Amino acid sequence: MAVAQQNALLGPPSQSSRTLLRVVILLFIAGAAIASRLFSVIRFESIIHEFDPWFNFRATKYLVANGFYKFWDWFDDRTWHPLGRVTGGTLYPGLMVTSGVIYHILQALTIPIDIRNICVLLAPAFSGLTAFAAYLLTNEMTTSPSAGLLAAAFMGIAPGYISRSVAGSYDNEAIAIFLLVFTFYLWIKALKLGSMLWGALCALFYGYMVASWGGYAFITCILPLHAFVLICMGRYSRRLYVSYTTWYALGTLASMQIPFVGFLPVKTSEHMPALGIFGFLQLVGFIDYVRSAISGRQFQAFLITVLVATFGIGLAGLVALTSLGYIAPWGGRFYSLWDTGYAKVHIPIIASVSEHQPTAWPAFFFDLNILVWLLPAGIWLLYKELRDEHVFVITYALCGSYFAGVMVRLMLTLTPIVCVAAAIAASKLLDTYLVKSPSQTSTSEAGEKKAPKSADKTASPLGVSSMVSKLTIVGAMIVYLLMFVSHCTWVTSNAYSSPSVVLASRMPDGSQHIIDDYREAYQWLRQNTKEDAKIMSWWDYGYQIGGMADRPTLVDNNTWNNTHIATVGKAMSSREEVSYPIMRQHEVDYVLIVFGGLLGYSGDDINKFLWMVRIAEGIWPEEVKERDFFTARGEYRVDDGATDTMKNSLMYKMSYHNYQSMFPPGKAADRVRGVQLPSEGPVLNTIEEAYTTENWIIRIYKVKDLDNVGRDHFSAAAFDRGQKKKATKKRGPRVLRVD
Amino acid sequence: MKPLSIATALFGIVSTVLAAEPRQSKDILPKDFKPPQVFKNANLVHIISLEKNYAKEQINAVIENVSPELQDEYYVPFTADQLSRVGGFEVKDRKDAGAGRFVADVAEYDPLSDVQYYRIRLPTPLKAGGQQTLGISFYYLRAYKALPALIDQTDEQYLSYEFSIYAPSAYPTLKQKTEVKAGSAKIPDYTKLAGTGDVPEYPQKQGTKLTYGPFDEKPAGASSPATVRFEFTKPVIHISALERDIEVSHWGGNVAFEERYTIQHLGANLSTQFNRVKWAQSQFMNPNSHALKELRVPLQVGSDDAYFTDTIGNVSTSHFRSNKREAVLELKPRYPIFGGWKYPFTIGWNSNAANYLRRTATGGFVFRTPFLEGPKQAEGVEYEHIDLRVLLPEGAQNVKLLADIPESSIIEHTVGLHKTYLDTIGRTAVHIKARNLVDEFRDRELIITYDVSSSITLRKPFIVFASMLAVFTLAWAVGKIDVGFSKTKQA
Amino acid sequence: MRFFKSLLSATLLIAGALAAKKSPTERFSEYHTKALSSSPLKLSETSYKSLTSTPRDYSVVVLLTALENRFGCQLCRDFQPEYDLLGKGWVKGDKKAESRLLFGTLDFVDGRDVFVSLGLQTAPVLLLFQPTEGPHAVASKDPIRYDFTTGPPTAEQVHGWLSRHLTDRPHPPVKRPINWQRWASAITIILGGITLVATASPYILPVIQNRALWATGSMFFVLLFTSGYMFCQIRNVPYVTGNGKGGVSYFAGSFQNQHGLETQVVGGLYGILAITFTVLVTKVPTISNPRYQQVAAVACGGTIFLLQSALLSIFRIKNGGYPFSLPPFM
Repeated sequence: MAVAQQNALLGPPSQSSRTLLRVVILLFIAGAAIASRLFSVIRFESIIHEFDPWFNFRATKYLVANGFYKFWDWFDDRTWHPLGRVTGGTLYPGLMVTSGVIYHILQALTIPIDIRNICVLLAPAFSGLTAFAAYLLTNEMTTSPSAGLLAAAFMGIAPGYISRSVAGSYDNEAIAIFLLVFTFYLWIKALKLGSMLWGALCALFYGYMVASWGGYAFITCILPLHAFVLICMGRYSRRLYVSYTTWYALGTLASMQIPFVGFLPVKTSEHMPALGIFGFLQLVGFIDYVRSAISGRQFQAFLITVLVATFGIGLAGLVALTSLGYIAPWGGRFYSLWDTGYAKVHIPIIASVSEHQPTAWPAFFFDLNILVWLLPAGIWLLYKELRDEHVFVITYALCGSYFAGVMVRLMLTLTPIVCVAAAIAASKLLDTYLVKSPSQTSTSEAGEKKAPKSADKTASPLGVSSMVSKLTIVGAMIVYLLMFVSHCTWVTSNAYSSPSVVLASRMPDGSQHIIDDYREAYQWLRQNTKEDAKIMSWWDYGYQIGGMADRPTLVDNNTWNNTHIATVGKAMSSREEVSYPIMRQHEVDYVLIVFGGLLGYSGDDINKFLWMVRIAEGIWPEEVKERDFFTARGEYRVDDGATDTMKNSLMYKMSYHNYQSMFPPGKAADRVRGVQLPSEGPVLNTIEEAYTTENWIIRIYKVKDLDNVGRDHFSAAAFDRGQKKKATKKRGPRVLRVD
Repeated sequence: MKPLSIATALFGIVSTVLAAEPRQSKDILPKDFKPPQVFKNANLVHIISLEKNYAKEQINAVIENVSPELQDEYYVPFTADQLSRVGGFEVKDRKDAGAGRFVADVAEYDPLSDVQYYRIRLPTPLKAGGQQTLGISFYYLRAYKALPALIDQTDEQYLSYEFSIYAPSAYPTLKQKTEVKAGSAKIPDYTKLAGTGDVPEYPQKQGTKLTYGPFDEKPAGASSPATVRFEFTKPVIHISALERDIEVSHWGGNVAFEERYTIQHLGANLSTQFNRVKWAQSQFMNPNSHALKELRVPLQVGSDDAYFTDTIGNVSTSHFRSNKREAVLELKPRYPIFGGWKYPFTIGWNSNAANYLRRTATGGFVFRTPFLEGPKQAEGVEYEHIDLRVLLPEGAQNVKLLADIPESSIIEHTVGLHKTYLDTIGRTAVHIKARNLVDEFRDRELIITYDVSSSITLRKPFIVFASMLAVFTLAWAVGKIDVGFSKTKQA
Repeated sequence: MRFFKSLLSATLLIAGALAAKKSPTERFSEYHTKALSSSPLKLSETSYKSLTSTPRDYSVVVLLTALENRFGCQLCRDFQPEYDLLGKGWVKGDKKAESRLLFGTLDFVDGRDVFVSLGLQTAPVLLLFQPTEGPHAVASKDPIRYDFTTGPPTAEQVHGWLSRHLTDRPHPPVKRPINWQRWASAITIILGGITLVATASPYILPVIQNRALWATGSMFFVLLFTSGYMFCQIRNVPYVTGNGKGGVSYFAGSFQNQHGLETQVVGGLYGILAITFTVLVTKVPTISNPRYQQVAAVACGGTIFLLQSALLSIFRIKNGGYPFSLPPFM
């Protein structure tokens, strides 16, 4: 706002003041980007959000405490008990190293900011950089002075990106999106200049990206695709050759330095396109050379045949190698992008994750608002003058929109390009309807690289004359933009700013009441159980237990071992007689479950229960059957009508154990499922309630040790309950004699 | 000006005790040391009060010098085990309060011997046959054993305390009497003695009070073990470690406090696992339980933005009331703390420096703060280790400090450097380690005087500015370098 | 083929009649020889009875099915080829019958009474009869039943199920024959395509190189996916649903869900918005007549405004709490 006035005062600003304005505006945008991500810090506190971030946080603390090399070969024996996890070799270290470096720099400056705050605020800080990267990328696309700034603004506040980068969501995406956009910028730069330097820079940042996020495969596929499309359009050039080969050679080497990636770039299908195009480019380069030798008619034929032949052969070779098993076929997650039904059948774990679900249109509108329909407009406008970099935008937009449609979380990769394209469209409009005459457009471009030529091309021959139309259109556009801003603010504050560890509720008087059961339970575990007490819980809570309760867990969110998870699923979904031996074998001391029945907290384990059953059934189809948890009429019930399998399952018993006694007899109700519960609750024999949080959200059970007079737990428990008829007659006397 | 006067006054008394450099070790007594039999206790009253979750013992003795020459060293015996748990050892003259507190310290000799002594130095040597009335008071931490050791979470808790009916003394005692004040009137069992004279049997019990004696002459070191077991339906709070950081900032005109507690419940453990339903119900019926539910920390008036966190972040269940008259921080731990449970946490707050800092006429500074500001509980709080650190401004010199607590509880104190917030030379850090204190010392003060020259105060902003300038120039220079290979293409 | 089948069944009939009073070993060898020629065996009622009669020292898998169209058992027809494949593969796999396992198929038309006696309402039913004597004998002589919960199982799945039950016996793997026909057709199609392109290139090329075409195509593509087309595909949601009161609800109430129709409506809205926008940017400024230009500009602006407002109102249906709206659709 202030900037605008300043602009007005200056009249037609000079080059330097223009740059100054740019810097100031960009700073404002970065500020807005950061500020809009701080809702949760202000509402709650500076805390790590959700699940995965807790692992990243723990890993970062380990890195800071033990140094890089210790971190590099870190074997973590406190997860996946009793297997453990080679953490150093199975994670993307980029995020942790980044915040570790920042931490050490600050320490060197003797600024005592603790690592937690750095981790919490990393994502917002990088979002500022992302906005800047978007600015650079867009400036490569168009000559309009405003496009870059608009793109930066969009990128800064687009909910699609905010969703993964609010303060506290300390996840790989936090820095990965910046790297993604910036790598693309460098790629475009390299392509335009045919410069090895920029190509090498691109490779460098690609390497950083690989070190940071599994999503690097997106770059690995988009760049070759872009190159391929260019070649098909007959736009092969030395520039393309230089930039691509530089990027591929260096980038691949860089990516191989990450232990977790290792030799994948030459072994898996995801990376094959890059390799193929690399070879293909050599060929095309060769042909390009040959062209100068042979000439005219027969060259065409030669060219076509060679190209087609090699391409066919390459493809055939790829297929052959894959089928012979030299090249790994597409990994499950990738494959589920193409064959969308695949995951549901074969990899229930992947299917069970909510962010792997397909995207309905409201999600798009929710995350992008007006950008959704500015995107096609932008694409259309890019087609007008189809330069190489425009081809890139179009390719990216097409792939991106497909992926985003298949998987909710990939909205993240779509957002940047949407911002760019939309910004191009919007700026075109504003330029056309704000600028008086075309001539001024070109002068305003004076600053831009090789501006005048393209500027003349883009500027309309006549321009808009009437003031009325200018006012209406620009006015309307401003209204949309303002609505976009308020939409983003609203979405961020309502949808993306709750750290799922702490729940907020409103008191009758409107004041905020914090429900902190998770941390209550974790802190209790941390303080009042022995250092190496093994905790069994569903994998969602593994990272949190590791991070907050600092206790060994059986399974966690790094779902690398399906069988182990299925074991836990089986223990949860079987009868006590079955579960107890499993728990003993895994040295489980405590079982932790989430129960929302009292509070009406819907994200609890009973609602996730079917996934446990399915995953267990995948391994033990004979012992766990999903069908047994549904009533004859195919309903999933927890009340009187629940099936016996359900009622006898450990999960059900643990959830409702002792719950009835909170209510007057027969009045016990589950507020999530909204049903009346059976009047007398389930009876537990092999485990006992150890702790239940204030609102019953977390319930912790202790696995009983073997009975010290050699009874089995059922008779022992029966005896304790004083069921004389059963217990004493059969067991009682013998037990006494044993004593 | 008032604090300053107090400061000087107190310096007058014991400033010799604490100089800025570490204390010199005491003179070691010979191995076969026995306190010379130069005194006798003409009359002695021993009061043991068990109302708090530490035991407070008071010995009021009329001592008499039985040796021909002047005497100024009076010894009080403890067993080795007691010595490790005793703290806050203070001696006054009952007759004239003006005499202040006597110097008393641990008489070091054979560390293996079971009998150890505290040595009291009388300010004025006692002439032959002269009498003086000493008021000796000290505290035992970890004083009780829960009996039964395991109880249900709704049962009431019983503690038992072991003591000697005859007051521990290194000298013969002509006449003595022992009073025990239990935590409550419910005293199911206690040691009984055959009475003498008109009294059928000892002790006489009225209300919460048991009275043994008076007894006639007993030799030196006479003792007769006894136990008392009483109901105590309050938590037995024990703070095994307290780290208290105080940061004085002249620039900010602010004093920042942060205290890290490791709190523990030493009472009876739970016999069964914790049961939420029972707990919720018992909260309605009878709220007073042996579990620790809440801590109230009264702060100095004018303290603000207080916080209460633990290892995994902010604890939302805390209230802070601050107004003209009081500033109270009410802490609810995340879970009720039962016997054997732990809960480490951190609290902190800020306050305007004006409330603590005064300028002296000579240009120096006087910083004055309570030595302890822990929770204030009806059942009392005991601190095993206290680690107090005061960060003075960068470059503070000739630091003098005075801690108004019994010197025998101070283990060591040093003055060092600590670097933070863009410091270049580092801040002067005063570090005091103390042990075995109880919340009755809350109102005792810590006073520190130091000088800071204004040139040093201005040093930091200058350095920061200069370095920023350097960075920018560097950036500019780098920007000038042309990384392009040839002039034809720009890079 | 037909003839052979009938003949086989006839022989089996006789065999079955004889088999009743044979020792299990003989029975097995006899049926196994038949199996070698054609497995799974096409059973009749009698042969079924003799085959499954106790005592037996071998195990039998019988598929009770109803293949004829009039029963309309799709599952049966889908599963049949898989089952045959399994049976063939197994018998080929161990010629010497070390696993002592036989495969049989009993169609409803051949063994109605068997169905009745077993009290079967549905088909197909896959039964495994474990041996009652010999090394692998099991206590209960009544068969284990495979449940067809998730669609027609593949041969591998059933194979796995068998392997779990027939422990420490050879489990010859399932071998799928190479589908020559498919390959051949594929290759021919590819070659044909190439030749077609080669010949027709002069006509196709201009079309392929037509920029406007591509532009429209990619626009359409993007619109399709950004309006939840893939969601409909994967979840195969209904086009529209009835609201309880006999009417039709075009929009699913919830935020996570949508109907087929919505994709089209929303996609259409986006499309028109985008096109109007492009017109506004590219075409309008080129209109030479100021009055026309003004009219056009205002018209486009109005359209965009209207549609945006409509879009917001639709979105408010999906997301009740959404606070923003534009006139006229408030």
